[in-house]
Amino acid sequence: MSEPVLVAQQLGRNLPGEPPVTLVADVDLAIEPGKFTAIVGPSGCGKSSLLYLLGLIDRPTTGHLLLDGRDMTPLSGDDRARIRLERFGFVFQFHFLLPEFNALENVMLPIRRLGRLSLEQAEARARDLLGQMGLADKMLKSPDKLSGGERQRVAIARALANDPVLVLGDEPTGNLDSVNSARVVDLFRQLAHEQGRAVVCVTHDLEIAEVADIRVSMLDGRISEVRRK
Amino acid sequence: MPARALGRLGLLIHIAAKHLLMRRRQTLVAVSGVAVGVGFFLAVSALMVGSQADFVKTLIDTAPHIIISDERRSPPPQPGVAAYGSGAVQLHGYKVRSEVRGIKDWQALLREVNDIPGAIGSPSLSGAVTLRVGGREEGLAVVGIDPSIETKVSTISDKLRVGRLIDLERVQGGVIIGEDQAQRLALGMGDIVAATSARGGTRNLKIVGLFKRGQMQLGSGTGYMLLREAQSLLGRPFIINRIGVKLTDPYAAQNVAAQLERRHAYKAESWQERSADFLGLLLTRNVIMYSVVSAILLVASFGIYTAVSNSVADKRRDIAILRSIGFSQGDLQLVFVLEGMVLAVIGVVLGWGLGYVLMEILGSLKFPISGDVQRIPLDRSSRQYLIAAVASLSAGIVAAWLPARKTALVDPVDILRGAV
Repeated sequence: MSEPVLVAQQLGRNLPGEPPVTLVADVDLAIEPGKFTAIVGPSGCGKSSLLYLLGLIDRPTTGHLLLDGRDMTPLSGDDRARIRLERFGFVFQFHFLLPEFNALENVMLPIRRLGRLSLEQAEARARDLLGQMGLADKMLKSPDKLSGGERQRVAIARALANDPVLVLGDEPTGNLDSVNSARVVDLFRQLAHEQGRAVVCVTHDLEIAEVADIRVSMLDGRISEVRRK
Repeated sequence: MPARALGRLGLLIHIAAKHLLMRRRQTLVAVSGVAVGVGFFLAVSALMVGSQADFVKTLIDTAPHIIISDERRSPPPQPGVAAYGSGAVQLHGYKVRSEVRGIKDWQALLREVNDIPGAIGSPSLSGAVTLRVGGREEGLAVVGIDPSIETKVSTISDKLRVGRLIDLERVQGGVIIGEDQAQRLALGMGDIVAATSARGGTRNLKIVGLFKRGQMQLGSGTGYMLLREAQSLLGRPFIINRIGVKLTDPYAAQNVAAQLERRHAYKAESWQERSADFLGLLLTRNVIMYSVVSAILLVASFGIYTAVSNSVADKRRDIAILRSIGFSQGDLQLVFVLEGMVLAVIGVVLGWGLGYVLMEILGSLKFPISGDVQRIPLDRSSRQYLIAAVASLSAGIVAAWLPARKTALVDPVDILRGAV
C-alpha cells in the first residue's frame, strides 16, 4: 500500500434545517496514487456529496481532509480554488464544456489560469492532450459540434490540463453508449496505472466497479464496505 | 509576477468578451445607451461651457477690466468733523465744502497704473451734452478719450459700423454716436450737429463714425470724442473723471483694483464686481447643467446594469464550471465587472464619435443676429471628452459590480449535481 495523497478523517456534511439533513457522515478514507478507486451505492446514498468534499468543491461540516498531510478544512475559498487548479481534475456526467469556447480553448482555460506557461506553450500542451484523446482533427470545433463521446474526452483532456495528481469523476460514463463508455473507463485506468495518478470515480457503472482497484460502497451517507482487489 | 497577473487579466477579458459576443443584441443596446449618453453629454456641455466662456469673454472685454472713477466708496469727512470730531463743539453758519469733481493728480495715478506689469490705463472724461438738430433735441453721454490709448484698453473700435476711432483726431469736432440715435436724429456720416453742455458751452460736432446697435455697455445715447475737445465742450479743462485699465490677465482684476483703491481712495471697480449678478447666474446655470448631464450618463449606465445582470443569471452554469476548474470567486466577479467595462469603453469611443459629429453640426449652424452672422460658441476642448470618459467608465464599473457580486451566491455543488 502506497502513501495516500488524500485522507478523510471523520468527514461529515449536514444541510442546515430542523432537523438537519445528513448527506455524509463519519467517512474515513485514504485515496492512493496509482490506484483507481470507485465509490458505489444506490442513488441518494451521498456518494456524489462525498466526491465534492474530497474535491474541495464543498466544505465539510465535521471532520478533516488532509492533502499530502496538510489540513484543507481551515483554508479560505481562494486557497482552495488555487489547490483545485493545481492538484485536481474533474470530469462530470455532463461534459460541462464552456459553449463559447472551442475544444482547444476549453482545454487551455485551466493552463492559462494557472499562468505557468506562455500562451504558445499552453496551446502546445492542450494540442498534445487532445491528440492523446484521439481528437487531433476536432480541436477547433465548438462543443455543440462534437459527439457525446468526443465531448467527454475533451473534458478529460481539460481535467488533465495542469497535470493533476488527483482525477475525480462524477458518473463520467453516465451519458455515454457502451463503446464510448469502455473507452473512458480504459482512459481512467491508464491515468491510474500508467501515469500514477489517484483516480476516484462515483459510478453506477458495473464495468467501472469491476476495473477499480478499490471499491468503496456507501449507504445512507456512510461507508458500508471497502473492498480491495 | 506582473506578467502572470496580466495573463490572468487577459484570460478574464477573453471570457468576458466571449460572453458579450454571445449576447449581441443586449450588448448592442447597452453600448448604444452609453454612446448616446456620452455623445449628448459632449454636445450639451460643449454648448454650455462654450456659451459661458463666450459670455464671460464679452463681459470682460466690453469694458475695461478695471474702471477707476472719481467717486469714493465713503466720502471724506468734512473739515469741521475732521477738526473737532466727537468734541463737544457747536458750530454756527458752517459752510459745507463741496468737492471739485474729477480725479486729482490723475497723471500720477495713470503713471502708477502703467507701472503695474501687464496693465494699461486710458484716461477719459464723461459728461452730458444735448444734441440739437432742426427742432429735435436729444441727450448724449459724451466720453472724451485718447483714441490711440483707448483702442488698447477696450474693444469699442470693433463696435463701429462705419468710420474709425482714429478719425476723431483728424477731424475738428469729430464725434462717434450710436447708429440708432443717428437714425432718430436723421443724421448720417459727415453731418453737423450742435451740442450744448450743462455749463452752456455750444459747439458744432461732425459725425465721423457710427456704432452698431444693441451693444451691452454702450447705451444708445453714448458718444465718443477726443479727450481735449470733450474737456473744452464740458468746460472742464485738464480734468478727467475715469481711468479704464486693461490687464493681460483679466482674472487679476480684483486684486489689482483693491490695491489701487487702498492707495488712492478712488473707487476702482473690477469687472467681477460690476458683474457679480451675472457671475452668480452662471453658477446656478452650471449646477443645472451638471445635474442634467450627469443624469444622462447615469441613465446610460442602467443599460450596463441590465446587461451584466442578465449575463450573471444566464451564466450560472459557466460560473460553477469555472469554479470547479479552480477559478476563484474574485476571478468570476472580475469577469463580469470586465464585461461592464468593455461595454463602457466601446460605448465611450462610439459616444466620442457621436459627440464630435453633433458638435460639427452645431458648429456649422449660422444665425443672423442684428445684421451679423453668428455661430454658436462651442467649447470643444479635450477636457470634455476626458470628463465624459471618466464619468461613464466609473458609472459602468459600479453598474457592473452590483450584479457581479451575485456570482458569489452561485453554489457550484447545486449546479454541478443537478445541471442539464
